[in-house]
Amino acid sequence: MNVIGAVKAYITKMIDESDPGMKVLLMDKETTSIISMVYSQSEIQQKEVFLLERIDLGGTNNSGSNSGLRYLKCLVFLRPTPQNIDLLSKELRNPRYGFYYIYFSNIVAKADVKILAENDEQEVVKEVQELYMDYLAVNPHLFSFGLFNCMNNWKSSTLQKTVQGLASVLLSLKKSPMIRYQANSEVCHELAQKIDGFISNESDLFKFGQASQPLLLILDRRCDPVTPLLNQWTYQAMVHELLGINNNRVNLSKVKGISKELAEIVLSAEQDSFYAINIYLNFGEIGQNIKKLMEQFQEKAKSHQKVESIADMKAFVETYPQFKKLSGNVFKHVTVVGELSSMVSEYELLDVSEIEQEITSQSDHSSHLQSVRRLLNPTSQKKIRDLDAVKLVMLYALHYRNHASNDVRGLIKMLKKRNVSEYLISSIDAVLRYAGRYAHTNEIFNVVEAVKITKRLFKGLSGVDNVYTQHKPVLNEILDEIAKGRLREDLYPRLNGFTSQQINPRSQDVIVFFIGGVTYEESLSVHVFNKNNPGMRVILGGTTIHNSKSFLEEVNETIRANV
Amino acid sequence: MAMAQSPLDTDIQEGFICPVCYKDYRSSSNLFSHFVELHSEEQDLLKSIKDLVGKAKKRILKIDEKDLELFKNELSLQEFHWDYIEPQEPGVSRKHTDFFKIVRRERLDHRTSETNRLIIRLDKLLHINGSDRKQQEQELVTWLDGTAVSRCPSCAATFNITRRQHHCRLCGSVMCNLCSCFLSCDVAKMIVTNVYTDRDNSSSKVEDNIRLCTHCMNMLESRNQVQMIQGNQPLICQLYDRLQKTKIDLQESINLYEKMCNSLMSSEDTFHLKDAQSLRASIAQQAEVLDIISKQIMSISSEDNQPKLSLLKNAIRQATTRYIKEYLLVLPNPAELDKMRKNRTIKHLQAVELPKPVSLKKIAVTTGWSPENLAVQQSVTDTPNDPLEEQIKIVQNYIEQARSANRYEEVVSLEENLKFLKEAYRMNQIHSDINV
Repeated sequence: MNVIGAVKAYITKMIDESDPGMKVLLMDKETTSIISMVYSQSEIQQKEVFLLERIDLGGTNNSGSNSGLRYLKCLVFLRPTPQNIDLLSKELRNPRYGFYYIYFSNIVAKADVKILAENDEQEVVKEVQELYMDYLAVNPHLFSFGLFNCMNNWKSSTLQKTVQGLASVLLSLKKSPMIRYQANSEVCHELAQKIDGFISNESDLFKFGQASQPLLLILDRRCDPVTPLLNQWTYQAMVHELLGINNNRVNLSKVKGISKELAEIVLSAEQDSFYAINIYLNFGEIGQNIKKLMEQFQEKAKSHQKVESIADMKAFVETYPQFKKLSGNVFKHVTVVGELSSMVSEYELLDVSEIEQEITSQSDHSSHLQSVRRLLNPTSQKKIRDLDAVKLVMLYALHYRNHASNDVRGLIKMLKKRNVSEYLISSIDAVLRYAGRYAHTNEIFNVVEAVKITKRLFKGLSGVDNVYTQHKPVLNEILDEIAKGRLREDLYPRLNGFTSQQINPRSQDVIVFFIGGVTYEESLSVHVFNKNNPGMRVILGGTTIHNSKSFLEEVNETIRANV
Repeated sequence: MAMAQSPLDTDIQEGFICPVCYKDYRSSSNLFSHFVELHSEEQDLLKSIKDLVGKAKKRILKIDEKDLELFKNELSLQEFHWDYIEPQEPGVSRKHTDFFKIVRRERLDHRTSETNRLIIRLDKLLHINGSDRKQQEQELVTWLDGTAVSRCPSCAATFNITRRQHHCRLCGSVMCNLCSCFLSCDVAKMIVTNVYTDRDNSSSKVEDNIRLCTHCMNMLESRNQVQMIQGNQPLICQLYDRLQKTKIDLQESINLYEKMCNSLMSSEDTFHLKDAQSLRASIAQQAEVLDIISKQIMSISSEDNQPKLSLLKNAIRQATTRYIKEYLLVLPNPAELDKMRKNRTIKHLQAVELPKPVSLKKIAVTTGWSPENLAVQQSVTDTPNDPLEEQIKIVQNYIEQARSANRYEEVVSLEENLKFLKEAYRMNQIHSDINV
């Protein structure tokens, strides 16, 4: 079960079905992102797709039929929205290309197919199919829908998009699962029902011969508001937290002295082997690997300088393309890691993160309060970012809200003295309200505590203990319970349709979906879980992938929308 | 007995020790009550304190193993990069093609029959000549009775003395002069002759244009476009087809070359080094051809109304250069391979006397090439031609032909043949020497 593989397989099928010849790919805004996540432009060129067009941009070409490109075959890949049907009809009435092979990323209504057929006056359409890839495949076990602030428009558009997206994940992986959802969340229940409705409506599509019953577990972000607030130390998570990864692209234009070609870089494990190896390694190890890479590169560069004889020149020419590729890669990663480490030292992230991890994994109120006060003190040497200061106060507040002597007010006063913006201060309250109604917040911190105490007890003996990776997301617990077949029915009930079956069959395939967004730290947990449990395979998805900034925005929106 | 190693001091403490403050309380009940008093926030610990005691006992007994296990666990979790992921087959898909085509056919049948009717009428119109032109036109297509029509159907302008009614020659409908379209007879002939090829152009002088309404004009226009695609094969298509064909041929050579390299690497004697080198040279030549064709594509002139064309050309060129760089320049060099092989064989010989394995050479005789049967010239010498000698000469000739045609696998099988023949010849010679 591999979502990147699934999308790639669909795209390869799409391209191979239209026989050899020059091709152009016609997409809309969302499908462009979907395809660019798994295929780079150079790869797709090798498959004879030479032009990539958008149907919704600059399409008003009235010299449509005379533009002279009628010898090209057009692969159309669109989401089946009314606007797209409209634009496509216009295109078919005045076709720019010779042949059209139309693929929709989700279910298309028969009425829409009829409209298209009636507009195909020149008989240029050869195929009309549905290929279910309506999601962004980020890693082999991670997908997202790119829906920011999903609670804002939940009823109107987000719910429908989420249902469609989840259904397409199931269809592309060929799974018809048992659905369980988080009991105390209305939105989870709603989504579960809608998915079930979808599956029963399209029951002939979902007829799979399955060896074991897969499981779809729908969770609400509110069950764990702590994980998105923490600073991260593994490569992918760290880059997203500090620089922001959007559809595998990182915007580096604000970095001082950045060269033009590195202003926007692509970080994709499919195409970049260094990234693939280092994606889950922590910061220290990345530094070592970069050093090794640099040494490798320097050796190669040295050998290239000795171009004396003809044989040397020949060797140089032959190995130059690989060298160029390697050098481009090295520069990219060196720049990124350099930027990350300068941010770490500038924002004192080592200190901040240590306190963050302590607050979330241990329960020593007085010392935590002291440490937070120390870092918030405006006269102290270390000047941390406002965002980090506010996050510390939030974590403290979330953990100790029921504590007798908690001093959130005092901390907020200290923040105001630092001239922290209103938005951030109001976010503290928002986060508490976000977590309050829904989360068994106490559990977040206490369920793991018993285990933690034991661990701390024997800290000295174990020898290897990384203070920056103490925190484990709530997802870990849930996955462990699933592995043992003991996921509690009262907390995570099934939908009505499934009561006849056993509640906890040995599910080998599990899809976990977070409404409200997922984080790279949770993706790391899933990856580790998959490695440790080779009999099971877990895929993780969310409405979007959060870093702390986007999470705070979402929290504020949710409270405002009052869902 | 609880055992703990506090982080502060390194000596081992024994006794009933509180796990939080590391003080000794001499008895379990004391410990318990102390804990409830001072560390009340850790409620859950009360339940698990008994577990702790148990765990601690186990710990004492198995301290070293657990240590190592934890450590190993941490280390193995470091291996976070990809490993082999099985290939995924595509998921479900659903076709609407048939439904689409049915709806389209219904719709288009109507249009195509109408268009065909127009074409037939047009053809007949082109053959009208004479002074009673209008009369004949009206005989062909009934003109709408214009007395009831007071306004033009397309622009709604009233008909009066200055704005007269006109009729479309193909469908008979009414329109004003401004709304009529004119189709020149030459263009009309072109449209018509695509369909009927046997009529001759014997129409005499007619008026230059045929008056049509916009509807008929559109129908003819769209039909015209469909005809255009099917006939038109612009230069870029031809070049591109050639490019693709060269690539396919090249791929075959590459496969063969890789096979050769593999066998050279594993010290088999199937292929000759110089054959590998000449194949590489021919691959390089074909790569140059690819390069030339893609440059030709780049140099196709594009007019201003075709902005996409230049993008297309660039993309093709880019793709071709990348293909050459990534697939062709990285092919292993046979000279290096041979060096490696020699080194290895030397090592082998030094190590052990290897018996030469009699490898079953499975060489597929590939598609359709066979050496020509050249008449072997009579040698100048008058010695009676030994049939074996003749055979040997013929086979050698074949080998040369195969080499020059780059059919290296045939070369291999022919050389085997040659070896047998030479053996037989030698045996023959020995026998004849003995007999003599």
